[in-house]
Amino acid sequence: MLQNYFKVALRNLYRNKVYSAINIAGLALGVASCILIFLYVQDELSYDSQFSDADRIVRVAGEIEHDGQTNKFALSAPTLAPFLLKDYPELEHVTQLLPANKQTIWYKDRSFNEDKLLFADSAFFEVFDYKFLAGNPATALDQPRTIVVSEQMAQKYFGSPDKALGEVLKFSRDSYRVTGVFTDEGNSHIQANAFLARSTFDTQQQDVLTDNNHWFMLSRYTYVLLRDEAQIAPFQEKLKTFAATHITPWLKENDLQASVKFVLQPLRSIHFNTEYTEDISTPGNISYIYIFSVVAVFLLLIASINYMNLATARSAKRAREVGLRKVVGAYRSQIIGQFIGESLLITLLAVILALALAQILVPTFNSLTDKQFNSNFFLQKEVIVVLLAIILFIGAVAGSYPAIFLSRFKPVDVLKADKAPRGGNAALRRSLVVIQFTISLILIIGTLVVFSQMRFLKNRDLGFNKEQVLIIDIPTGDSTLVNQLPSIKQELLRNPNIEHVSNSLNIPAGDLSTILVYAEKDGGTLQNAMNAMFVDYDFVDVMGIDLKEGRNFSKEFKTDLKGGLIVNEAAVKKMQWKNPIGKRIQMADWDAKVIGVVKDFHVKSLHSKVEPLILALTPESSGYLLVRMKPQDMPATIAFVQEKWQAFDTKHPMEYFFMDEYFDKQYRAEEKMLTVFGYFAGLTIFIACLGLFGLASFTAQQRTKEIGIRKVLGSSTTSIVLLLSRDFAVLVMVAILIAIPIAWYGMDKWLQDFAYRTNLSWWIFAVAGLAAMSIALLTVSFQAIKAAMLDPIKAIRTQ
Amino acid sequence: MNKELLIETKQLQKKYVTDTVETTALAGVDLRIAKGEFVAIMGPSGCGKSTLLNILGLLDSPSGGMFKFQGEDITHASERQRAKIRKHNLGFVFQSFNLIDELTVEENIALPLAYLGVSKAETEKRVTEAMERMGIAHRRNHFPQQLSGGQQQRAAIARATVSSPSLILADEPTGNLDSVHGREVMALLTELNEAGTTVVMVTHSPSDAEYAHRIVNLFDGQIVTENLNVRKHAAELL
Ligand SMILES: Nc1ncnc2c1ncn2[C@@H]1O[C@H](COP(=O)(O)OP(=O)(O)O)[C@@H](O)[C@H]1O
Ligand SMILES: [Mg+2]
Repeated sequence: MLQNYFKVALRNLYRNKVYSAINIAGLALGVASCILIFLYVQDELSYDSQFSDADRIVRVAGEIEHDGQTNKFALSAPTLAPFLLKDYPELEHVTQLLPANKQTIWYKDRSFNEDKLLFADSAFFEVFDYKFLAGNPATALDQPRTIVVSEQMAQKYFGSPDKALGEVLKFSRDSYRVTGVFTDEGNSHIQANAFLARSTFDTQQQDVLTDNNHWFMLSRYTYVLLRDEAQIAPFQEKLKTFAATHITPWLKENDLQASVKFVLQPLRSIHFNTEYTEDISTPGNISYIYIFSVVAVFLLLIASINYMNLATARSAKRAREVGLRKVVGAYRSQIIGQFIGESLLITLLAVILALALAQILVPTFNSLTDKQFNSNFFLQKEVIVVLLAIILFIGAVAGSYPAIFLSRFKPVDVLKADKAPRGGNAALRRSLVVIQFTISLILIIGTLVVFSQMRFLKNRDLGFNKEQVLIIDIPTGDSTLVNQLPSIKQELLRNPNIEHVSNSLNIPAGDLSTILVYAEKDGGTLQNAMNAMFVDYDFVDVMGIDLKEGRNFSKEFKTDLKGGLIVNEAAVKKMQWKNPIGKRIQMADWDAKVIGVVKDFHVKSLHSKVEPLILALTPESSGYLLVRMKPQDMPATIAFVQEKWQAFDTKHPMEYFFMDEYFDKQYRAEEKMLTVFGYFAGLTIFIACLGLFGLASFTAQQRTKEIGIRKVLGSSTTSIVLLLSRDFAVLVMVAILIAIPIAWYGMDKWLQDFAYRTNLSWWIFAVAGLAAMSIALLTVSFQAIKAAMLDPIKAIRTQ
Repeated sequence: MNKELLIETKQLQKKYVTDTVETTALAGVDLRIAKGEFVAIMGPSGCGKSTLLNILGLLDSPSGGMFKFQGEDITHASERQRAKIRKHNLGFVFQSFNLIDELTVEENIALPLAYLGVSKAETEKRVTEAMERMGIAHRRNHFPQQLSGGQQQRAAIARATVSSPSLILADEPTGNLDSVHGREVMALLTELNEAGTTVVMVTHSPSDAEYAHRIVNLFDGQIVTENLNVRKHAAELL
């Protein structure tokens, strides 16, 4: 019997090639996208799960509350660790990570600039069980000046992980002995090229440490391994009283008007944490996971609808077979079984095709999403389970509607020679088409909104000129080089195509410094944590920031050094100063007056509003060298800068980038998602149109006789094309009316994420609606024209 | 007649209700058919012949009256029960052959056996037998569209008989055939009847009706006359 079903199914597929191609291609595209989306989602959800104790590890994050405002950081205070260990016996280990600056590392004749370097204490590998290719994790970081490097780094410096142990890497200040090589299996929010023994840092910074030994110094990532997962919630509860016993007295003693508290983040949730800033690595975005999952379901739904619609539309063709099988004694359940089996078969074929498609698309998908999926992903147990689920879902759900519908046919009705039943429930089919186009439209509108927001972000006036600025990342810890900065600047300025050169500690889109300031307000002082950029005399000129009041830093005013500050408009507003010039601000050992106010400019991405900012003069700042060039002859100017710089710095590989690219990189995640989203939107409309094409061909076939009669009666080809297209146009119109409010609502929510956003203008909806309508009509009219061109006599004869 | 009854109906009625119109297709039919009989049903178009045959063949259920098959009252049998009886006891032959286009001749004929759960070897044997009997064994691997009308109808008869049913129902089996092929089909039906199968056939053609033992004349949903086919029964009567 099964064999018989199988043969009938295959022969049906073979004889109805267009129909089969539409069904299988649509399903295959949908399933292929689902596979890729599944891989993406699975990958995103897998962060930090490779650590054996992942469920018992939590991170302690800090929240600073000040002036009714809470700032949340992924970091906590260094001094927290010993307190935790002392007070809470339920903690097995407490370990802290401290990010190190970018460093140049030398080994024999090789040198590289390395980032993602973390100072870790000796408990680190007790908490996080990284796999070691060499060395002993239990003791690797016990001694000062030891380093555990990643497999890739070992490869790069020593040629192989087995050659790494005992080798010595030279940093600008110290040398580190390699005591271990770890491998980076699985995803982790801790992205590290190497872990350095923290004891080194602590001895180096002894003086600074004791000095800054207070609760506001949020500089380290603190991880805690509990003895039992069940203790996480009670521990969180106990931490609430921690502040009262340890922090509040300290706040009183130091007369501080802010408070700090610590909260727990389960390890596996950290990757999606966007609430707590300054994380080790850029967090993932959980909403993309949701959006992608929804898109996957949508794609499957649209492809399944094609299947259901075409199967029922074509039911007239299968009706006789059903009648006959019943005549010879088939039970209805057997007929249902047969058709569900058939749809399982089609789905299976589609899944096989989808696997091949996904295989081909993996490299493209990887570059779109910055992932490294392997092309043998389908051997994964989870993928197989998902595929089986998809086959069962589509096979059973999409297959059961036509199955139930077809199995209902009575032999007496369908076996009559003279009349065949009309194909299926037309109203239901229409609603399903509306659903398909509604979904497609929502995705198209979504894509257009994201696109216009991206354009808005890129074109918005940032308050400074990000174009034509080359930035050199100055290697840290090289004092000779830093002392030469004034000469380097002078050398560079000899080139007429270089307008300004500035050295600063901070740059836009980079890390800002946060400092505690005491500002004059209404005769008293206001204590406040503020963002600051430490810059030289030329920064304002290089950046092209507009001065609103007062003046720029100047060498002519000796008092500017530690005595003058520039603030932005937001700071003036925050302080509610009417006459900002001359207002007093104290910070660390500075006692300064405001000498100028600059117009607000964006140092952070346009996700956030411009915050109060202080520009502080430190002419010896050695974070970055900013070179403003003239637009003409840029390649030559860049070569010139390179040559001059390397003449002064012969030791480090030079690293430079451009300010505009660096700033726009902040929207990279969104840009990537836009591309992916765009592809999916295109795909949904394509699959929906495949189905429409099939339906239109079916309708045209069914109405062949009617068309013939109309033509004989004098209808023009145009009017017949219109007649056939009108029904479908109405469906798309309904879809447009449903999609617009839904998309409006959803995209308006999405835009709320940006402090600066474009308007949801009507043209987006018009363009999307028009596009969907044209594509649909184009699809339908192909069939309609074909039918309308038929010789009327032939058409009438056709039954 | 002393023969065992296969079919017995009393006041069989069938009404079709469509939107506003109610059509009475059968208005009280009393019919008794014994095992081994060959009955022809005749009458003008639209008088209810097909309706009666479909009810006798358990493809449709009556709106009133009583229907006994093999002594069992099945007037209110469920669809599943009726399918079961069809599968085990009945064979159908239609005017338009009604072979499945996607199955070969052989596969079409094997279909009833598949639903009966007959083993592969047994199926092979019985299908071959049936095809040989109908003279279409050489076309076993062809698809219906590749056959002539006569061959298609013979394949349909082979399919109707392959499960050795006790009753064959034929609705104008020669309607779509020329006279030569028509006669062939009638000869085959007679042969089957002589081998013991009961045959009930609807026909327009008086010459076809001649093959039957008995002719039931239907008019407006009622039996008007029932004549014994004298020529057929001559031997018995005389
Ligand atoms: N499915 C149906 N719905 C409505 N009326 C029907 C249906 N089938 C048959 N009829 C009507 O019942 C009557 C008998 O039909 P039928 O048994 O097919 O006649 P015959 O086979 O004798 O030509 C006719 O008037 C026909 O129009
Ligand atoms: Mg009839």
